[in-house]
Amino acid sequence: MNALRSKRFIITGLLPALVIYSLFVFVPVIWSAYYGFFNWSGIGEAKYTGLSNYAEILRDPVFWRALKNNVVFVLASVFGQIPLALALAVLLHKSNLLQRFLRSAIFLPMVLSTVVIGMIWQYIYHPQIGILNFLLDALGLSSWKLQWLSDGKIAIYSLIPPLIWSYVGLYLIIFMSALQNIPGEIHDAAKIDGVSGVRKLLSISLPMIKNTVQVAVVLCISGSLKSFDLVYIMTKGGPAHATELLATYMYNSTFSTYRYGFGSAISTSIMIISLLLIGTSQWLTNRKKDAA
Amino acid sequence: MKKWISILCSAAMLALLLAGCGGGNEASGSGENGGEKVSISIWHNWTGQDAKAVAMRKIIEDFRAEHPEIEVVDEGLPTDGLKTRLRTVAAADEMPDLFVMWPDAMTKEFVKGDLLQPINEELDANPDWKNNFIPNALDGYTVDGKIYSVPMNLAPSSFIYYNDALFKKYNVKVPETWEELGTAIQTFNDNGVIPIALGNKANWVAQSTFFSTVGDRITGTDWFLKAVEQDGAKFTDPEFVEALTTFQKLGELKAFQDGFNSLDETQMMQLYFQGNAAMVVNGGWALANLVNNAPPEVLDNTHITIVPTIAGGKGAPDTTAGVVGTGLGVSKKLTGARKEAAMKLFYAMAGPDGQKATLDSSTLVSYNIELDKSKAHPLFVELYDLIQRVKIVPVYDSKLGSATVEVVNNGLQELLMGGKAEDIARKIQDAQAAAVAAN
Repeated sequence: MNALRSKRFIITGLLPALVIYSLFVFVPVIWSAYYGFFNWSGIGEAKYTGLSNYAEILRDPVFWRALKNNVVFVLASVFGQIPLALALAVLLHKSNLLQRFLRSAIFLPMVLSTVVIGMIWQYIYHPQIGILNFLLDALGLSSWKLQWLSDGKIAIYSLIPPLIWSYVGLYLIIFMSALQNIPGEIHDAAKIDGVSGVRKLLSISLPMIKNTVQVAVVLCISGSLKSFDLVYIMTKGGPAHATELLATYMYNSTFSTYRYGFGSAISTSIMIISLLLIGTSQWLTNRKKDAA
Repeated sequence: MKKWISILCSAAMLALLLAGCGGGNEASGSGENGGEKVSISIWHNWTGQDAKAVAMRKIIEDFRAEHPEIEVVDEGLPTDGLKTRLRTVAAADEMPDLFVMWPDAMTKEFVKGDLLQPINEELDANPDWKNNFIPNALDGYTVDGKIYSVPMNLAPSSFIYYNDALFKKYNVKVPETWEELGTAIQTFNDNGVIPIALGNKANWVAQSTFFSTVGDRITGTDWFLKAVEQDGAKFTDPEFVEALTTFQKLGELKAFQDGFNSLDETQMMQLYFQGNAAMVVNGGWALANLVNNAPPEVLDNTHITIVPTIAGGKGAPDTTAGVVGTGLGVSKKLTGARKEAAMKLFYAMAGPDGQKATLDSSTLVSYNIELDKSKAHPLFVELYDLIQRVKIVPVYDSKLGSATVEVVNNGLQELLMGGKAEDIARKIQDAQAAAVAAN
């Protein structure tokens, strides 16, 4: 009786959130998947074309380029942001003045709008008045000077520093709070056992926050698959698709060339790819846990 | 300390939440009011502080004062936002009563979607108005013999603005032929001056302001219109490949400054304003920006000319790419008193008085009226005189389907980075063939 009542209470409590979530997340996702089967310019009749949008996506070299760029972004985030944030969290989780200052400094980009971040980095990379090329000149490294954002071969890599810089603060905060949540008794026990320094970090702190790291990896993958704004502001996916991401490819197909059906098919593909990647990462980390 | 973090976190969450809330697409409110007052809605892109936007907003204000019985609900959006928003409401069949729209491709699509009503009756009732437009001005708004709007301005998209002081300093002739342009580029590069400032990050710039004219010079207008229809001409034809190659060679000569693909149009104009660049190629719309923002030492030395002629090309020499300007679309759903009110506003904005107000705000019009040269800025007088003697040829993005335009724009970026002209021509051809086949 009691269990039934509490179950009912839980359901009533969850209901509003569930309704809103399905209304604004599930329904549009299904709707968009449905549009993916049509040739539709947004105006007038939509023409059912079956899987031809998906076939076209698979044949489109721009899609593969966008996917490759997205994979670069995912790798850069997972292997750039997370280790960096973890290292910083370990170094900065005490609270003296310098550490507090550094923490705020690292978190600062999180409260800046992406537009601002994009503009700042655009001027850092600016071909005529950019501080980066200016610094290289001053250091006598003029031969290293590049056209950071307009050379199609390197533009995508030039976008990685701003990407890492803008999100590392978020993961720093997540990891720091996870570290602070490790119960004091465990630290005391470790002290009694004479464990300290690197050993304590590797055998106690990191395993204790493993779940948090796992969540962070998922956030990181889904976040960088969705990334759009930074690239849209800094390069608009150009030059000549060199920095196209799945999201900018989708946006350009939908709103610049007015192919709503094709754009919807790309969105659906992005979702499938995200689920695959996140599923794989979950499986990989879980498998390790079982083995251990 | 923890409190501090939580404040920061919640601030960040709030920011994310707010960001997520932006950009809805609510429907337009254009319902009939119960009383005598008639309400009409108009969407436009006159949001800025430039002379034209101010002049257009003033017409709406004056109209309100003159017609207290008509309630005008106006909504201003930036140009790109307006285009996207119109598409969105078009998909939902909720067009505002009047809206700024573009000729050719957009007009055709809206007609196809059965969203507009023709204005032939109003035009025929007022022949003085109808017959005063410049030749072919109404073509872009005509579908199957019916006229759906009239242009409220004229947008030639391709002029060379040049800094005469720099030309004099290095003793360079203002180029009239392609060879002279080559010499000019060479001389400026030798002296560390940027020959032509270009900002092609928003990738339409090179296509609209420069390549459309170069293409027309080499292929001729007839060929281009045939290729658009895919009727007897293809973008893989040798003349188009030659146009691409000619443009690519300009890049190889270092006509444009380093990193042009990562600068936007504003930064391109900055390079010119700073006196670092001898020339900038831009549309007639750049003039207002120039007059308002260029420092006097640059502005006073600035003159306007057209892209040089190319020997052996099939196009006419005294031409420049361009398009008749935006017009007002009239929603299909308007009838009775509301339609009457809307047409009054239409005439106030696009009729003779509206055209004059536009011209007085230093914007070219597709309508025959004399410019009062004593009041206008000398540079605008120069532009006005120039446009009287050059003919407008179609700018690429007004005639090609929107998917092809994207391919052309990206192709030109690739071309200037060293891509192969034949491959790019093939991609453009494939895209346009697909677009024609789909119709």
